[in-house]
Amino acid sequence: MKRLLHRPVGLLGRVVAILLLALLFEFAASTLLYERASQFSVRDDEARRLAEHLVISRRLVAEQPPAQRAEMASELTTTRYVVAWNDRLPTPPPIAPALDAMRRQVLAWEPSLAGTDLRLRLTSPGRGAVVTGALRLPDRTWLYFRTLEPITDLNLAVDRILLALVPAAALMVLGGTLVRRALLPLRRLAEAADQVGSGDEVPVKENGPGEVQRVIIAFNRMQARIRRLIAGRTQALAAVGHDLRTPLARLRLRAEAIETPDLRGQITRDIEEMDAMVASLLAFLGGDSDPETPVLSDLAVLCATLVDDATDRGREASYHGPDHCEHVVRPIGIKRALTNLVDNALHHGDHVWVTLEPHSDFLQVRVEDDGPGIAEDKLEEVLQPFVRLDVARTRDTVGFGLGLPIVVQALAAEGGQLRLSNRAEGGLCATITLPR
Amino acid sequence: MTAPTILLVEDDPALRTLTARALGENGFVVRPASAAPEMWLALEAGAVDLVILDIMLPGTSGIDLCRALRQRSDVPIIFVSAKGSETDRVVGLELGADDYIAKPFSTRELVARVRAVLRRPPLETRVGGREEGVLTFEGWTVSLPRRALTSPTGAAVDLTGAEFDLLVALLDHAGRVIARERLIELSRTRLGDSSDRSVDVLVSRLRRKLSSGGHPAPISTVRGVGYMLSAPVERR
Repeated sequence: MKRLLHRPVGLLGRVVAILLLALLFEFAASTLLYERASQFSVRDDEARRLAEHLVISRRLVAEQPPAQRAEMASELTTTRYVVAWNDRLPTPPPIAPALDAMRRQVLAWEPSLAGTDLRLRLTSPGRGAVVTGALRLPDRTWLYFRTLEPITDLNLAVDRILLALVPAAALMVLGGTLVRRALLPLRRLAEAADQVGSGDEVPVKENGPGEVQRVIIAFNRMQARIRRLIAGRTQALAAVGHDLRTPLARLRLRAEAIETPDLRGQITRDIEEMDAMVASLLAFLGGDSDPETPVLSDLAVLCATLVDDATDRGREASYHGPDHCEHVVRPIGIKRALTNLVDNALHHGDHVWVTLEPHSDFLQVRVEDDGPGIAEDKLEEVLQPFVRLDVARTRDTVGFGLGLPIVVQALAAEGGQLRLSNRAEGGLCATITLPR
Repeated sequence: MTAPTILLVEDDPALRTLTARALGENGFVVRPASAAPEMWLALEAGAVDLVILDIMLPGTSGIDLCRALRQRSDVPIIFVSAKGSETDRVVGLELGADDYIAKPFSTRELVARVRAVLRRPPLETRVGGREEGVLTFEGWTVSLPRRALTSPTGAAVDLTGAEFDLLVALLDHAGRVIARERLIELSRTRLGDSSDRSVDVLVSRLRRKLSSGGHPAPISTVRGVGYMLSAPVERR
């Protein structure tokens, strides 16, 4: 029931409403014009002259038998007034506002006219406006008259133009605004549709004309379906990842029973590679941990520790930068990002240089290696998930090609950026910028 | 000394058998259990020196089980997880597990962790009974369960595994000199090759990471003998 009461007005309904509003406006404007005319008054002598002429004309015409009345009326026609006799009331022209104030003036001079049902109208208001009128004779026939000379005072031309223009202008503004308003939800829908797939989708507010509202509801449902679909896939992949680790654990323990050291070593490395792939997949899909809260962390020590870990593993790595540099970040995400960059560098080069430079409004971390670098036209491509440049980089690459996309993801959470470039002296330089 | 008894709780039958065999070959007595009910039965059957707990068990989640176990007993717990996520690790350690190992693991890794946990003094003999495992010195805070170091300014400071072990050893012997040989032995489980030099490198790295605001780290060198942490340590 409530649904029915709040049924949204359709586009058609809105257009009708806009037209209705326009008509109302027009009506109000002409009412105003008539009102102004009714308040209009003439000079006293003019009113008096008209009053006298009417009294005389009435009496003279009424005294004549009906056959002579038309003739008497034409005799009464002067340079000022045209008088005519008619046995019924002539219909006034369509735009002929009643002149109430002027009627009162006339009646004030000749109160005897009060019982004659005197009517005064302004005919063709504006340039050359004349006063027309009628009064009833005792035998219920009508004496009709009009002024010959235009009443110069009674010039409503400017008013009339204004009154014609104002509604037109107002109508355009009003109509434009209303149509624009009616179509606003459609524009919001377009903006929302543009956002789909680039981060958090926001359901569009369900309002506007009925037709648009139905589109918005359908769009929101579609958005939710896509989200459920992606979430379902992500969960399934994450579950597969978890479940893969138990057989991997079995395999690893079983591999230890292999007598041939070479074969054992190879199988162990294969298992490690598979585990690394599972780990990167879980990290990329976010199926491995809850969203992190940012905490104050020492990035300088983090960089130094990553370098120290590498040297402990017997690799050549060095850190350049301050001993301490505290910054609020999501520590696990940032550590994973930096670890991926350092591991990448060590995979392709023999030496890795990690440099931390604190600037006044941003922090920069550079991870450089002395490997073969990346072809200039591929620098952007490698940031995409599942892209591996086995051809460009001579050594075999491990994993799914998720290392750099994980870095991009972790930095996006911090509002930071990753930029790759080739060093002049050879090798790759990965530059991380974090806003302070 | 009798062989330590280990209660192994693992739902995957094959992995249970393999892990039990690996531990048995390394001189441990293993009591396998597939889930929570069997675990409680095995605990009632006799004293256990250590529990290895798979965190993703059917029925009860390993974390709930760890909490329940900790309420009843102070037996050391190592939990095994396929998740391998940092948050999981922290949650488990904060619930009172003593160590954490991620699937897949090697026998060497597993045995090293088990030995390290068994080497620790029993909980009831530790000063002040059951502790949170939080140590403070000169404004620095070390959380043993989380293996985390926090600076006097409250920033998380990341150390390598070997550096953290060295720091814990120094804290355990605060005010006393630890011989270099002892430190070499300690870091052997972490570093492939361990020499005099590598310990010196470790100490110098730790000193750099523990400096704060131009204040040098409170680690002093005792020539020809070893190193000493020269600051009072508070335990919570």
